[in-house]
Amino acid sequence: MSTVSTPLLERATVLRVGGLSIRLRHRVVAAVLGSLAALIALAMWSAATGSTSLGLERVWYALIGQGAKGDEFILWTLRLPRLATGLAVGACMGLAGALFQNLTRNPLGSPDLLGLTQGATTGALIAIIVTGSSLQVTTVLAAVGSLATGLLIWALTRGGDPSGYRLILVGIGVSAILAGVNGYLLTRTTIIDAFRAVYWLTGDLSGRDFGQAALVGLILAAGAAVIAALSRGLDSLRLGEATATGLGVRVDATRVAALVTASVLTAGAVAVAGPLAFVALAAPHIAARLTGSSRSFLCSALVGALIVTAADMIAVAGVGDRQLPTGVVTGVVGGAYLIWLLIAHRKKGVLS
Amino acid sequence: MTASPLAAHQATLGYGRNVISEDLTVDIPEGEFTVIMGPNACGKSTLLKALARMLKPSTGSVLLDGKDIHSQPTRAVARRLGLLPQSPIAPDGITVADLVARGRYPHQGILRQWSAEDERVVAEAMAATDIGDLANRGVDELSGGQRQRVWIAMVLAQQTPLLLLDEPTTYLDITHQIEVLDLCAKLHREGRTLVAVLHDLNQAARYATHLIAMRGGAVVAEGAPADIVTAETVQRVFDLPCRIIDDPESGTPLVIPSASARV
Repeated sequence: MSTVSTPLLERATVLRVGGLSIRLRHRVVAAVLGSLAALIALAMWSAATGSTSLGLERVWYALIGQGAKGDEFILWTLRLPRLATGLAVGACMGLAGALFQNLTRNPLGSPDLLGLTQGATTGALIAIIVTGSSLQVTTVLAAVGSLATGLLIWALTRGGDPSGYRLILVGIGVSAILAGVNGYLLTRTTIIDAFRAVYWLTGDLSGRDFGQAALVGLILAAGAAVIAALSRGLDSLRLGEATATGLGVRVDATRVAALVTASVLTAGAVAVAGPLAFVALAAPHIAARLTGSSRSFLCSALVGALIVTAADMIAVAGVGDRQLPTGVVTGVVGGAYLIWLLIAHRKKGVLS
Repeated sequence: MTASPLAAHQATLGYGRNVISEDLTVDIPEGEFTVIMGPNACGKSTLLKALARMLKPSTGSVLLDGKDIHSQPTRAVARRLGLLPQSPIAPDGITVADLVARGRYPHQGILRQWSAEDERVVAEAMAATDIGDLANRGVDELSGGQRQRVWIAMVLAQQTPLLLLDEPTTYLDITHQIEVLDLCAKLHREGRTLVAVLHDLNQAARYATHLIAMRGGAVVAEGAPADIVTAETVQRVFDLPCRIIDDPESGTPLVIPSASARV
């Protein structure tokens, strides 16, 4: 194995073994390692704090099964499932957001803008209001709603002008229709079901178990594998469809695969945690700020996990002695970030 | 006639129900600098898109090395045929070397991301386009002419014997137009087959070794500029009364629009 620092491509190192070569961009590596370290630290902090502060030492003993019964219960039943679910959900949303921004070539491209979140909401509202059913059924119908919306957008955009612009306009249209449907569903129900629905709509991680964490984890793993295969083509698509075609990217196939993957990731995350606002939008932006002109899906996933974990810690700390739904925190923090982003871009004069 | 490396064969080209060209047959001659010209909406960019496999003919076919271009793996095509589209997009903050390196895509893979060969070819492409000094500059800091040379370098890094250029001089001032066309002429002299869509008739006549004049989606005239740039052809293609004189610099035909035509 040899390590080459290329004279041509500054700030990158190439690892070569036989005919294989990997290019490591220093800034991307630093961004990934940095966000990974921050994520690990935050996850440990999150496990150690809460309504009962355990401290890292008691967390460690509880983790290896030598802690007090109470500590083990708090850690294994209350905190770790919630933490694991948050990590997986955040990573899914970070990846989905990065895919949508790549596909639409627009900084506002996200499952919220394109209507996937509204689709999931429609599914959840049907479950809660029309069938009055359990959280499990709500989860399934929310996933179905999100996926169906993704497929609908794909069906409506295919064959036409392949630019991201069309995808955004179709998404906004679909989103508006679904918002109307959701409003109608909410007006046709009792105050109790409406409250349950609104609570779901806010997005929350409380009371999540390992089963749900594993489900999202599985979707995350599958999505990550597909993205790894697509990422070079997606990166070339950033030069425009025409250039990507010239370079030998299978443009249509790549875009369809990316849209389906983004829909599945969104469906999995939203089904389990509800539509945690703005995570999918903010994560790729923050990741892009860390990695510079290169894009890294891995970094976006890590930042998504970081946002959800941090937001959930704030939510658990709550206001006064009341915990908040996680979605309230991501909404407030993400919204503030979005406004800042628009102001910063207005100064720069471009939206890219 | 020698076998053409790239050809459209009885192709129907268009967008949805809007048919631009019907039964269009065009052979791109090997080793020539072919320029496709014609008035706005004559179908020249559509033809280039079809030759670049961005547009699939609804009937007929586009043949690369005698085989249907759409039946060949797109990465294999990308090692034969390079394309500089009309408005490529440079990602924010990308450096010149990084952008040129993108041209290596069809030669790379997930586990073959940057070989010594990639490094050498990219350096050569940058030297050929005279942008070696700009390697670590941001593409968004460059002038329009420099930027166009960067994009041409990216296509050169693809190492294809065939190059398609869609209006490579649009949006450039006259100095940079000539700079880009001189570069194209050099690439042609080095043995590549070039196909470009150009707007300026006189530039087309000066730089092309083979001209294809189109109107209404059909080829009206085809051949060496000295043979086909005549007052009669220009009238037929552009509806423009004109005189043709010899370009005092290059000796190629120079189109002078008639003074009375615009009164």
